[in-house]
Amino acid sequence: MAYNILIIDDSKSMRKVILKTLQLSGFQLGECLEASNGQEALDVLEGKWIDLILSDVHMPVMDGFGFIRSLKTKDMFKNTPLVFVTTEANEDRLNELMDLGARGYIRKPFRPEEIGAFLSTIMGETDGFRVGTSIEGSDF
Amino acid sequence: MGSEWEQVLKEVISEVLETMFFAMVEFEQGVPGTHPFDFESEILLLKPDGKIVISLQVSEEFARMTTADFLGIGQDQIEDDDIEDSMKELANMIGGLYHARIDDAQWELGIPRAWKIDSDAPDTAKSIPGLEFGFFGEPAGSINLVHLPV
Repeated sequence: MAYNILIIDDSKSMRKVILKTLQLSGFQLGECLEASNGQEALDVLEGKWIDLILSDVHMPVMDGFGFIRSLKTKDMFKNTPLVFVTTEANEDRLNELMDLGARGYIRKPFRPEEIGAFLSTIMGETDGFRVGTSIEGSDF
Repeated sequence: MGSEWEQVLKEVISEVLETMFFAMVEFEQGVPGTHPFDFESEILLLKPDGKIVISLQVSEEFARMTTADFLGIGQDQIEDDDIEDSMKELANMIGGLYHARIDDAQWELGIPRAWKIDSDAPDTAKSIPGLEFGFFGEPAGSINLVHLPV
């Protein structure tokens, strides 16, 4: 199954790196959309069907916290898996994102080979929920 | 820059560069701050009673090579905007990993910034005294960490 994904990061380079990583990891990609912050992502989502969202936390205009809170108010997307790809190191803040409904987080720097396996797990394609020491997922 | 921080920074820089930029650097014993570099990036760690400023300067050659490797494209396809964006992300990851290593929940990571150093503008062209690193024997960059009270 090919998944439509949305990548949100204020760094164009990081969006490219995440996309290239997914392409190389064997993760089945459909349409890939991009946004540079949470507000732009909400605009991009209008009228689209997305299977998976990967988002940075620290962004101008609307950060990851604002984005997940807004996303969860939208019937069409409140159950869409959202995984944060972030340099955030504060466990309390990461736990807060999980409490708000994030399905997991990947800490930068990440090893590209870990991403595909982790996301396949998030999408329910394999067993288990933890890959590597810098990647955490919710019990789903 | 204290020796304890210096050791943590060395580990952090090495991990970030090796993991995402595919570059292994060596740390130099030479006189710090003596090489003029071409790109600078910076990130702040903030808490109510202080801030840490991490500044990174790199040569254009090193910046171009690591940006190409980071993005998975040829060096001839790289533009200055790509380099600045990648150097910003490099500072972001160094700041984030440093934060994780010091394990102090009070610190908050700021938004990184990066710019090309203008050699004709003295206030932007000064080399920062700091920990120098090289790539295959050539000076590649310098990193500095300053802990300031607010």
